Amino acid sequence: MHSVYSRINNLSAFLSTCTMVLLAAIALSSFVFNADPKGDLLIASVKVYPAKSHRYPRKKLEMGFVNFNISADLTPLFNWNTKQLFLYLEADYQNTKGVNNTVVIWDRIVRRKEDAIINVAGRNKYAFKEISSSFKNAPASHYSLKYNLMPHVGVLTYGEAARTVEPVDFSIETKPYEV
Amino acid sequence: MSGNVLQEYLEGKIDFAGQKLVDDIVRIWLIAATAISFVAGFALQSLLVTFSILGLSTVALLVVVIPPWPMFNRHPVKWLPVAETKKSK
Repeated sequence: MHSVYSRINNLSAFLSTCTMVLLAAIALSSFVFNADPKGDLLIASVKVYPAKSHRYPRKKLEMGFVNFNISADLTPLFNWNTKQLFLYLEADYQNTKGVNNTVVIWDRIVRRKEDAIINVAGRNKYAFKEISSSFKNAPASHYSLKYNLMPHVGVLTYGEAARTVEPVDFSIETKPYEV
Repeated sequence: MSGNVLQEYLEGKIDFAGQKLVDDIVRIWLIAATAISFVAGFALQSLLVTFSILGLSTVALLVVVIPPWPMFNRHPVKWLPVAETKKSK
C-alpha cells in the first residue's frame, strides 16, 4: 500500500473478489423468481401430405403441416437477470413402430419484455417429417410450447408454457400439397 | 535530479498510518458498494443500475485512495538521531 502501484494492485484484487460475490448473488437471486406463466396452445390442424425427400428424389416422404395458435403472456419471466427467452413448439408423437419422438417444429427468440406477449397464428417453421417416412397409423399426439430462460449470470432453466389439452389427430392427405 | 522528482511523484509514497487508512477505506467502500449495488439493482430490477453503481463508486474510490493525498502522509516516520560512534570522535 506504500506506492501507487501497490494500492492499485490491492484495490483491483479486492474489487475482483467483490465482483465475483456480486455475480454469485445475482445468479442465486434468479431462484427467488419462480414465475410459471401459462398460455394457450391451439392446434388448428395437422395435415400430412405425400412429398419427396430432397436428398433421395425417388424416396417418398410424408411432410406434416401444423397450423397452430399460441397466445401467452410470458412477461413474468423477465426479471433483472433475464437475457432472453427461447420459445419452441414441440410435437410429441409416437410413430408407427411405437417409438416416441419429440420434434421441434417452430421457435422464437424473445429478447425484450415488450415482446413477451406472444400472439402467433402460424405454421411449422421447420420440416415436420417422420424418419420412417410415414405418419400412417401414428396415434393422436400432443403439442407443447416450451421455453428456455437464459440468464445473464447463472443457470439455464427450462419450462413449459402451454400444452394441448386433447391429443390431435394426424390427418393424412392423399394429394400432394399445393400452394 | 528532475528524474528523481518525477519518480517520487509517480511512486506516490504514503506513510504507515496512511497505508492502514487506505486499506480500511478500500475494504469498507468496496463491500458497501457491492451491497448497495445489489440491493438497488434488485429493487429496480436492472443490472445496468447494479453495475453502474459499482463502476462509478470504484472510480470515485480510485480518486480517493490512489494519489498520495496529504491526509495519508500526516504521520511521517521519526528516525532516531544518528548514533555517534567512537570513530567519529
